[in-house]
Amino acid sequence: MKLVSIPKDKYDEYRIDLMFDAYKWDPQFFDSNTIAKQALVITDEEHKELERLTEQLDEETRKAEDLLNKNLKLAKPLALPKKIYKELKKMKNYDPDKHIRLMRYDFHPTIEGKWAVSEVNSDVPGGFAESSIMPQMAIDVLNEKSYWYKNFGDILTNAIIKKVKAKGTIVLVHCTSYSDDRQVMQFLGDKLKQLGFRIIYAAADHLRFKNQEAFSILDGNEGKVDAIIRFTPLEWLIDIKPKHWEGYFDTITPSCNHPIAIFAQTKRFPLVWDQLEKQGIRLSTWRQLLPETVEVKNAKHKNDYIFKPACGRVGEKISIKEACKEDEYRKIMADVKKYPKKYLAQKKFNSKSLISEEGESFHVCLGSYSVEGKHAGYYARISKLPRIDSYAADISVLIEK
Amino acid sequence: MTGKEIYKIWAPTEAKWVDWVRPVPFVGINESFEGYEVDEFLIPKINYIKEPISDMAIIIDLPGNNSIKEGIALAKIGFRPIPIYNGTDEQNGATATVDNRAIKMGLIKGALELKKIEIPDNAPPAFLLDTNRMNRYKMDQSVFDNSWDIYAQDMPSAEYFLKNGINKIMVRGESIQKDLKKILYTFQTKGIQIFWINEYENIKQVRLIKPKEKDF
Repeated sequence: MKLVSIPKDKYDEYRIDLMFDAYKWDPQFFDSNTIAKQALVITDEEHKELERLTEQLDEETRKAEDLLNKNLKLAKPLALPKKIYKELKKMKNYDPDKHIRLMRYDFHPTIEGKWAVSEVNSDVPGGFAESSIMPQMAIDVLNEKSYWYKNFGDILTNAIIKKVKAKGTIVLVHCTSYSDDRQVMQFLGDKLKQLGFRIIYAAADHLRFKNQEAFSILDGNEGKVDAIIRFTPLEWLIDIKPKHWEGYFDTITPSCNHPIAIFAQTKRFPLVWDQLEKQGIRLSTWRQLLPETVEVKNAKHKNDYIFKPACGRVGEKISIKEACKEDEYRKIMADVKKYPKKYLAQKKFNSKSLISEEGESFHVCLGSYSVEGKHAGYYARISKLPRIDSYAADISVLIEK
Repeated sequence: MTGKEIYKIWAPTEAKWVDWVRPVPFVGINESFEGYEVDEFLIPKINYIKEPISDMAIIIDLPGNNSIKEGIALAKIGFRPIPIYNGTDEQNGATATVDNRAIKMGLIKGALELKKIEIPDNAPPAFLLDTNRMNRYKMDQSVFDNSWDIYAQDMPSAEYFLKNGINKIMVRGESIQKDLKKILYTFQTKGIQIFWINEYENIKQVRLIKPKEKDF
């Protein structure tokens, strides 16, 4: 893989075009520009390998969550929030054929020339427009015909078409106060609207459930719902008062994602692997790619482990010392000590940085999507630091023909 | 004019501070946008400051497009107005907590004014905020909540301000709202002096109290 620079004289226009034509409404985070000045180009060989690994990981993950759902006792080491754990038994009616399963696996190249996977975004992966429109805009600005990309948006909407009735009403559930959530939903909503669906942008508490079916109570948009696309994370959903969210767990309204996603969303997922393997679940791809993960207490005084929050997102609260700002590291370590079950320890891998044409060094997180078990495209971010967090820049992923 | 053209007037690429102009309201100025006349968009006279102070940034936190009008007034005396509105559109047909259309109309009208003003590329910034952003009152749960907060990541860091010669920030508004207090308190701990001016009193320096840990 390599970084290919966007021509300097075209970059400013490219950045503005991404804001207006590619739903990139958050181009700045503090002092960091979040739109990369390069495109990430992977070889056909790398693409094929990632495609294969993603589908293998996905098969293992879905089999694992199915077993966990049937045997909740096995899920205890996940230390899920009590409010969620109490609802899990409602998911017995979960039928994967009725819902749409979307995940994103975060790959990193290592200095040993291998891949490491840091996590799966199992519940509410984002980056939809960045993996659908942004690559085409990069190809156009590079004026390069020898690259192609996999359009994630097309793949996801095709999966939705197969499971949701034509011209049906789809509710895009998100935190309506956050524009960075809305940009993800707006991309998908506009695409689905073009396909004839009726789209409702709503908050999680705008849905009610009757006989396990979802209904919208949003002012002026009341009525039965034919599908739920959720971007509100489950661990936020359960804090909504009054409690109307339990219906998400046993709804028969097609959902993407159904709360079944929580088993793999917690970063403590690897802590149940030994038990799952005893029950016949194959997790060899996960074992090959995920750095060793243990309980916090088992990593004490080991310098080559980092701590990650079980419910962390976008790289926040990960104890990579050189990537922490100000007294962030001290605060994380104090929190780990106070709430060890809310964290896990993971062996640090050696991320291999890529050098741009201008000589700058960047670490890469290459997110690889799966939709219904099939590889569905890429979403990548680059950062000068080894922790890929909100300061990182979104970068188009292109594949060599 | 399209939303993109209007954005480019507010955020000319060669000017300082424009990386923080939020595209959100501009993106909403598209073919489906239905604007309405709020008022005559009269630009007020500024009496609390006569000319830019090179080491001071201003945050205008006024209701609706009043913040834009005052931003244009500040542009006339040499500040760079930086709109950082982040509110989204409500679902069609739903009652919303905040009307963001007034901001869009203000940005369109403000762009026409801004085009006539020459602002130096290195002018100090005047960040524009809508006080109505925190209207959270919902008659019932069926209302669409498009209220929003300004977060630290939506603005330059204290280090950036200091590195670029800004060591004073003045808030112009009825009060310093809760979300802004969190950001400004951090700035204060890093050596930036905070000032406040309302409609009726003189500029005064304020000492912000540390917000509760859970609010960070």
